[in-house]
Amino acid sequence: MRIAVLRPQVPFARGGAEIFTDRLVHELRARDHDADLVSVPFKWYPGARVLTQAFLWRMLDLDEADGRTIDLVVATKFPSYLVRHADKRVWLVHQFRQAYELDGTPLGQFGDSPEDRALRRKVQELDRVALGEASRLYTTSRNVASRLESSTGLAAEVLPHPPQELDYHCQGYEDFVLSVNRLDRAKRIDLLLEAAARDAGLEVVITGDGPDRERLERLAHDRGLNGRARFTGRVSEAELADLYARCLAVYYAPVDEDYGMVPLEAFLSEKPVLTTTDAGGPLEVVSDHATGLVVAPDADEIARALGWLREHRDEAASFGRAGNAIAREVTWDRAIGRLLA
Amino acid sequence: MKVAYFSPMPPEQTGIADYSALLLPELRERIDVTVARRGARKPPRGTDVSLYHVGNNPDAHAWIVDALRRAPGVVVLHDFVLHHLVAGMTVGRRDGHGYLDLMEREHGVVGRLLGHGVLDKRIPPLWESRPEDFSLATFVLEHATGLIVHSRYVRDRARAAGFEGPISVVPHPAWPAPTVSPERRASGVVVGCFGVVNASKRIPELLRATANVRHEHPELTLLLVGLTSPGFDLDRRLQRLGLADDGLAREGWVDESRLWALMAGSDVLVNLRHPTMGETSGSVIRGLSLGKPLVVSDVGWFSELPGDVALKVAPDDAEVETLTAALELLAARADVRAAMGAAAADLALREHGVGRVADLYASALESAVGGGAVDDAVLREVSEAAADVGISANSAEAREIARRLAEVELG
Repeated sequence: MRIAVLRPQVPFARGGAEIFTDRLVHELRARDHDADLVSVPFKWYPGARVLTQAFLWRMLDLDEADGRTIDLVVATKFPSYLVRHADKRVWLVHQFRQAYELDGTPLGQFGDSPEDRALRRKVQELDRVALGEASRLYTTSRNVASRLESSTGLAAEVLPHPPQELDYHCQGYEDFVLSVNRLDRAKRIDLLLEAAARDAGLEVVITGDGPDRERLERLAHDRGLNGRARFTGRVSEAELADLYARCLAVYYAPVDEDYGMVPLEAFLSEKPVLTTTDAGGPLEVVSDHATGLVVAPDADEIARALGWLREHRDEAASFGRAGNAIAREVTWDRAIGRLLA
Repeated sequence: MKVAYFSPMPPEQTGIADYSALLLPELRERIDVTVARRGARKPPRGTDVSLYHVGNNPDAHAWIVDALRRAPGVVVLHDFVLHHLVAGMTVGRRDGHGYLDLMEREHGVVGRLLGHGVLDKRIPPLWESRPEDFSLATFVLEHATGLIVHSRYVRDRARAAGFEGPISVVPHPAWPAPTVSPERRASGVVVGCFGVVNASKRIPELLRATANVRHEHPELTLLLVGLTSPGFDLDRRLQRLGLADDGLAREGWVDESRLWALMAGSDVLVNLRHPTMGETSGSVIRGLSLGKPLVVSDVGWFSELPGDVALKVAPDDAEVETLTAALELLAARADVRAAMGAAAADLALREHGVGRVADLYASALESAVGGGAVDDAVLREVSEAAADVGISANSAEAREIARRLAEVELG
């Protein structure tokens, strides 16, 4: 089958959605499909630019390419699903969250002016129309499906996908807690640093880069964490696999995350995950005292929980192994089988 | 955003007053709403948008339409046919010319002549004899900056009448079913029919179908609840069909709590009408909340109910036969009643939940206030980009762009 995977691209940024779509194309090709990635730059500000940039997708003609029919398209996130196609399957990573649950929060985009309020409604209307056209509608997690249904009334099948390919393995449980994240405020790395400030025995390794890095490094310095909080920046795949293999546990506490690959990556390395009660998607795989620990989004609670893991390494290992069994069930064979059914 | 809210309110005894009493608390959690006092001529200072609930009853809505005509705003169109309202606001105020002018605007010279016939009492009032053919909705539509309607049917009729502003289709909110003890009026299957008893509610057809069904299912009882319209001879019809002594339970007007109890004690609810004025039915909405299987006429809003919650009866030559078959099915099959009832309760929660309806109201109002500026900004940017690459305004390419914009409701 000839399949176009659709991905909006924020130039110079790379995150989970990019890893996911690259991998999807690779896996489709490995199953003898003629798959390719179709990418259009996306800029969502200022003002009505979110709509005009989204509209670019509507002008694309993906019925065929170079005289050959494209059998189906797989759209992944806003606004790629505005595209027109007879067999438009949407595998939704997330909607444009600023128009929904992030509205009115510091992470929102739209103000209180009549134009901004109406703009937000237009984005929602676009979703209703464009997602309503889909021949099949999947989401990567229950959290995304639930948001979709409550905001548009559209029901989707939940179709999780595996995380990025790494040489996952477990080399024991050293003293440090690992954070794998883009460094922006929604990921709440600051809570981990504040927890480290409360527990002198806590060491943290923070991978990734992003707009919040400078503030976080300053916070670590101000809290006197020098030596106990290491910022690695972006790391290679081999380095990441090694960090996963050696860490005690993985910290992952974003605000209402869509799905989150990190818990599955941790589980594939047999590591427990510490997350928070408001983390969203991660709670679909991280269960308290089963595959990790789930606590309130509070530095004291996080410090206590990580301290408990340090003192109960057998339990930490047991949580990691339980998570491993869950992560191994999420395979590309299953995902693609259902996607193309 | 500050919204001035024009609606009949309790203790007025209208369905729309009940509707607003249900909606307002949820709406106030989302936007700043001030309810206009009855008779207010204009919205309070600082209002961003006024919301006008308009139905066909001049006693309840004339003051609201007067305010609308002074300060245009978003109209919640509860009925599409507004002839009775308009007659009350023209003929009823000794403004025969106003009535004639409107009849002519909507229906040409023939309309004007018919209007003369009404004013001269040479023909029966059209708002009683043929309102569905002369909606006179323009009287309201021409002052509306946006519409909120409850059905695609009314949306389409408004478009056909030339309304070009934004229209939001918002479900009628559902009252949560109260905890009442069901009042059963018979031991067998009870088919409840709630509302005014007259010909346009298809009571003659319902009585004939009931008599038919009772040949096979003598355990079926029809429960009629509501006042009988003057001139409708219910007793004679019952006697003729053999329903006077057996098979029928009768209640006149009942209060709200008794209404719920009697509905809860029914196994099936029937709500028929023809012609439709584009209205919704509070009884049907209550039936959904109670999880009751429904039988409705296949007209207007009722046609848009999902097939798994309502059996639909077209008001055609086979109406009685179709209705008979529907009632026979529901009388015989408890499993079908249960499945339809479950689907109805689910629909009430999912589609008609008052929180969801309030969200959609907030959306419609926000779009009405700022949507024009957003549309202008989108069109300006797209047209400038098109012009930059040499696409002229009337070219095929420009038409293609316009078509694609319209597909996703942009611009």
